[in-house]
Amino acid sequence: MFGLDFFNKKKSASVAKDRLTIAIMSDRDRLNAYPFMDEMKAEIIEVVKKYVGVRGVEITKEIHRDFEALSIDVELDKNS
Amino acid sequence: MGIVIAVISGKGGVGKTTATANLGLGIGLNGKRCVVVDFDIGQRNLDMILGLENRVVYDMVQVMDEEASLKQALIKSKVSENLFFLAASQSKDKSVLDSSKVQKLVASLKEDFDFVILDSPAGIESGFEHTIEFADAAIVVVNPEVSSIRDADRAIGILDSKSDKVKNGEEVAKYLIINRIVADMVESGEMLKSDDILEILNIKLLGKVPEDKGVIDASNQGKPVILDKKSIAGQAYTRIAGRLCGQKVDMKDIEISDSGLFKKIVGIFR
Repeated sequence: MFGLDFFNKKKSASVAKDRLTIAIMSDRDRLNAYPFMDEMKAEIIEVVKKYVGVRGVEITKEIHRDFEALSIDVELDKNS
Repeated sequence: MGIVIAVISGKGGVGKTTATANLGLGIGLNGKRCVVVDFDIGQRNLDMILGLENRVVYDMVQVMDEEASLKQALIKSKVSENLFFLAASQSKDKSVLDSSKVQKLVASLKEDFDFVILDSPAGIESGFEHTIEFADAAIVVVNPEVSSIRDADRAIGILDSKSDKVKNGEEVAKYLIINRIVADMVESGEMLKSDDILEILNIKLLGKVPEDKGVIDASNQGKPVILDKKSIAGQAYTRIAGRLCGQKVDMKDIEISDSGLFKKIVGIFR
């Protein structure tokens, strides 16, 4: 069978390169989700600061099967 | 004022600690003052590779908590008087690290040494973040294998967003070491070529290290493989250490096996 033969001949290193290129592209995409992230982070810090001390804010984009979400972690300052 | 280099990988078990030990020693043997610090809190490894496990009295966390002075905690290498080692803490958990304490420790090491090399823990958790936070440069260690390369990309992404230098609008220099290359497999198309890895990760090459059984033999004895002049991995680390010390060392093509090289030479004479 020509098709199967052709597939077998494809070297595994080039399969690895193709798979990696796609996987890494989608990883990067998911992680640097939006250009306004930094600005949004700063604003969230300002708002929370009114009530409690903040050490930092982490925003990550999560891609689920049916929806996408932003997960916002606010790290509080123990000393305040 | 020295340079602070974090050795990172994302995935564990790719040879980060071996690289740290060998580069530290290689730099020391080049006459530069170097300190290697084990940042893998809770899991000491670097002391074993360097053969200094019996000399550890005080660790990095005790220095940060001012329970011991740097002078008390630094352990001098048996082989090079220019290489010093600071051990990871075994008893305490990773949360003991704190940015301001790490910054202070790194700053004082920078005063005394030409090279401060921080061996990062595997993964991308807080211990990793503390290692990269105050680094001027990073050495990324990968194996020519998909999971190692993908995890390295994640680690690089965090380095590019969380290091202090990046936050101040500067860039952290990043260099890649490809470890455990098997020439035969690269030739037959069963292992990723270094050019492909560099393209995928978009990073500069610092060096290639071939697979070498001598590495385990060396760690069994606590004598870094760079001391074994016959070892091909040791020779690779000597070349990389030379580059770090500013020497011009040509990139040796270790992706051609001896039989492949023989075929090429025969080809010339045909």
